[in-house]
Amino acid sequence: MERIYVHPLPVRIWHWINALGFVAMIATGFQIRYIGLVDFMSFRTSVVLHEWIGFVLIGNFFIWLLFYLFSDKIRVYHPELSPMKHFQASFRQAMFYGYGIFKGEPNPHHVSVYEKFNSMQSMSYQVIMLLLVPIQFYTGVLLWDVKRFSGMIDLLGGVRVVDTAHVLIFIFFSGFIFMHIYLATLGHTRMAHIKSMFTGYEEIEEPHGGGK
Amino acid sequence: MTGTKFHTNLIIAARIALAVAVFTVTSLAARAADSARTQLDEQCLACHSAEGLEMKLGDGGKLALQVDGAAFAKSVHSKIGCAVCHANTSFENHPPVKKKIASGREYSLGMNKVCANCHAPAVKLYEGSIHASLIRDGNSWAPSCTDCHSPHAVMAGATYNPAKGTPCSKCHDAVFTAYSGSVHGKATLACSNCHRAHDVGSPTAGDQVKNACLGCHEDAQDKHQKWLPNAKRHFDAVSCPACHSPQAKRKVDLRLYDNLAQQSVMEKAGVPQFESRARSADKKGAGLDAMALHSLLREFNRDVGDSKTTLRGRLEVSSGVEAHQLAPSTLAIRDCAKCHQQGADPFQSVTVSIVGPDGRPVRYGAQPEVLNSIISVDSLSGFYAIGGTRIKLLDWLLALAVMGGIGVPMGHMTIRWLFRKYAKKITGQADS
Repeated sequence: MERIYVHPLPVRIWHWINALGFVAMIATGFQIRYIGLVDFMSFRTSVVLHEWIGFVLIGNFFIWLLFYLFSDKIRVYHPELSPMKHFQASFRQAMFYGYGIFKGEPNPHHVSVYEKFNSMQSMSYQVIMLLLVPIQFYTGVLLWDVKRFSGMIDLLGGVRVVDTAHVLIFIFFSGFIFMHIYLATLGHTRMAHIKSMFTGYEEIEEPHGGGK
Repeated sequence: MTGTKFHTNLIIAARIALAVAVFTVTSLAARAADSARTQLDEQCLACHSAEGLEMKLGDGGKLALQVDGAAFAKSVHSKIGCAVCHANTSFENHPPVKKKIASGREYSLGMNKVCANCHAPAVKLYEGSIHASLIRDGNSWAPSCTDCHSPHAVMAGATYNPAKGTPCSKCHDAVFTAYSGSVHGKATLACSNCHRAHDVGSPTAGDQVKNACLGCHEDAQDKHQKWLPNAKRHFDAVSCPACHSPQAKRKVDLRLYDNLAQQSVMEKAGVPQFESRARSADKKGAGLDAMALHSLLREFNRDVGDSKTTLRGRLEVSSGVEAHQLAPSTLAIRDCAKCHQQGADPFQSVTVSIVGPDGRPVRYGAQPEVLNSIISVDSLSGFYAIGGTRIKLLDWLLALAVMGGIGVPMGHMTIRWLFRKYAKKITGQADS
């Protein structure tokens, strides 16, 4: 069994804070939006928690950003600039999840230090981390103090526009989080990828399995 | 110079001398004793204290001419005497047999100009008030100077009686009754403490009343910020009574707002458009729905060219009576869920409004669904209450995302389980 160190400590710290934070943000966000439908805490408590956790997550985001900006590990996110190559690799990966995995075919992506993500992961994580998450943080901060940021909010089209953008991304993450957890169980064992996110080491044993 | 001309000049000179004498005597008398009446005043009162003295008016009504001499003697106007206000009157032309006064209202309005001779600053403030504006629009009930200030009995500092609500309660009786039982009414604050005495504005337009609240409750924002998230936003979008009059029925008023000019849109005087446009957009006559509201807004944006007219929502109480039933702060609404959940009471009643030419809002009913429609992201971009006005389409999207997020992995897992033997077989073949 080969063990490859693919998740450096700062990434693991960032990941688990982010994971817990996002679960808490989704839960409190759900409570804020649907008070009356679900009542596991008061509106005010959920708002205050949502705000505090939100700021923790913004700080945590910079652990991720600074680590990758100032280390060579940023190569794991390097995009495939050839659309054809990227499409082919993504198609192969999608075919694996949608068909090959049922036949017991091996995962077409082979993990290495600088290629820990398959082509679908690297693209989707870049969209998430460089577009969706920053937009979510930004709109969240604007909604945290609507009066203070009223100029910017008006520039963006009004408080309802900002809120709708925030809610749309919330909806995306509410669905994504289930998919993310499920895909994380598609390693050579169900816990292999999850375990590696604690230890930092990915076990390369079986030729088949999935990404997360 | 002919004898006739000489005679005429003599009369004019005599009248001037009389006027000067009246003024001099009045001034001297005023200086001599505050409540002392001059000989001229006594002469006036000799007739005008007669009970039932009145004159017929053009509209068939009667103008009471009786003056209570004792009350006048005590009033602040006794210092200046009769002649200063009634300067057009002299013994030669009095009683004016030929003078016809159309109505008591016309007479009162005419006398406003006389008040301005001494009380110019107050009259100027009054001219900008909702009361003066209503009079200009032909309202026959709005008060002129003498409706609030009885001219022959006005007392310094006693114009307003907080306990009795005078003179405001003469017209706003229901409001005053509600106010009397409120926390402010019990503290016998005068109406003018919040609404001002002369430059009374429309309480539902502008910030005059809110500023009056904050004028006394200076630390209100700080206190609210300690427990209320986005407190300043709440101060902008929620009227004080909406929470501090806990029994009141609440509603949303969507106000047309000019984003470029940074002020409420005003109806053009003489060419009212709002109601006709709203009626034309509201084809079913059931109140504006989301599409109708959107097209109404488009109509106003067409007028103003580059400027962007939007709607700014404000949560307020349904009536002036309810706005005055303010309770002690311990009873104020602090439960966020009263507003921040779907179906909350304030969002069941919606109006759209523009500031009318007299400063009061002109309203048109809208259907509550305008607050939850996806179309409102554009037309109602400036108003949003979490939970209470959430967009229904997004609720469906969320349900779809969660169902997909759970359903797709479960389906995938199920197919993997169903094909497990087949997969092992193939894997085994590959391994061997």
